[in-house]
Amino acid sequence: MGEYLSSNRSGDFMALLRARGLWREPEAVAATPAHTPVQEVHGTTVIALKYREGVLNVGDRRATAANAIMYDRAEKILPLDDYTLIAIAGSYARAMEIVRYLQHSFKYYARTQLQEMSLEGKLAEVSRALAGNLSLALQGIGLFIPVVSAYDLERNEGRIFFYDGMGARFESVEFGAAGSGSERIRGVFDYILKTKGPFHEMTLEEALRECLLLLDIAADLDSATAGIEKVLPVARAVTADGILNVSEEQLAEIKQSLMR
Amino acid sequence: MVYTPYDFNESVRHRVEYIEERLRDGSPVAGISYDGGVLLLTLRRTQRKIFEIYDRLMFSGLGNGSDLEIIRVGAIDFAHQEGYARSPDDVTIQRVVGFAISPGIKRAFGDVLNAPFVVRALFAEMGKAPEEDLFYTLNYDGEFVSLGWAAAVAGTPEAEEQMVRQLLPEDVDGVPDLHGALRRALRAWTVGRLWTMDAHLEEGGAESLTDERIEAFLREQLEDLQVEAAILDRFTRRERKFRLLKEEEVRPALP
Repeated sequence: MGEYLSSNRSGDFMALLRARGLWREPEAVAATPAHTPVQEVHGTTVIALKYREGVLNVGDRRATAANAIMYDRAEKILPLDDYTLIAIAGSYARAMEIVRYLQHSFKYYARTQLQEMSLEGKLAEVSRALAGNLSLALQGIGLFIPVVSAYDLERNEGRIFFYDGMGARFESVEFGAAGSGSERIRGVFDYILKTKGPFHEMTLEEALRECLLLLDIAADLDSATAGIEKVLPVARAVTADGILNVSEEQLAEIKQSLMR
Repeated sequence: MVYTPYDFNESVRHRVEYIEERLRDGSPVAGISYDGGVLLLTLRRTQRKIFEIYDRLMFSGLGNGSDLEIIRVGAIDFAHQEGYARSPDDVTIQRVVGFAISPGIKRAFGDVLNAPFVVRALFAEMGKAPEEDLFYTLNYDGEFVSLGWAAAVAGTPEAEEQMVRQLLPEDVDGVPDLHGALRRALRAWTVGRLWTMDAHLEEGGAESLTDERIEAFLREQLEDLQVEAAILDRFTRRERKFRLLKEEEVRPALP
């Protein structure tokens, strides 16, 4: 029988890649002297907010390497499937590789097993991918932090999960954020919650306004965050009807009203 | 014991007879392009028969269920490892069928000490427009054929030929919509099924297949079997283009 006609049948994509020699385990590299750090490209600020129909994710477009702005069209909010979004901050190279892995892993499971992977299963898969990244992260490169937003079809609500670099997972009640800019604006989230009420009761437009304002403040306080002025951020939401990509026109309109 | 070329020929002949006899009763599968995507349709008892392989690829077939399952998972494995290691754009029907699946089927067929695959499989790939859609039929001996617009697999090659005639009628121009595609596919399925079941048809030719007869036979079959139809949707904004059609979507096309 041909090489491609045998399978492990567990629906585990990582096992398939390992069996076929395609899984690239991050290798331990010899320690480099302290004065020659690896210049890797980092993504900066991403925000996830609950709103009435699900979870809204907004990210600025900047990617940096140390002091240099490498790219101002970076995509940091990516759909993993029709009900899951991932927002990433940190090492852009590793994040993109792992996002590609996760997208295939979820689809592979669904297609071979003829049922969707459970939300719990998907979250555990994200943890596993992060844990596999650890040997790199310990060398000071390759570390990235994801925020996962999912629409839970069983509970009929949007949910937000954030992770640490080792793969520990925490569920967040109203919002999540990651990246250098997010640290500077943590208090603003609480201020909004206490003065305007919970995010999950907001309409999409209200939530978008808060997100853009938050990004704008983050850009003022963090040099690695681009904010909203030069290039519009990316905004996607996860809802009961799948992924919603917020149009540039809608973002431009809200930006206009904020800049007045 | 000496194994001669004569023995080889003889054993291949036996294998072909054995496989074709078992395929004859299988439920045909019809595939057709329509304006909004690609449709595969068959009738079945309980087991699902049409499956998603990759973002723009689906698959069905007739024959031994576990053989079809091996092909299904083999195709999914290959598609996903390639999609991950290279890019989803590099996962094409040509590579999946021609490179990943067909050689193994061919080897199993030629290996007289092992059981061959008892299958006829139909793969469909959705392009950006109907003229870019592709169908591949894969036979139990590893041979495959590539077709545009429509394709079919059935119990005998003659039945397949008749089905394709129904799927691409000469007197109708243009690409059908989903309803039109469903009607053509149902008619093709019925003709394919009749052709393998009724030995007299081959003498009488396609002329003896009147509309009334086709419709009556389909009604009869629908008492025991249910329609399974799946599409790859060209214009959906969802990540998943593949979708099994719901009963209410198929019903308007039934007699």
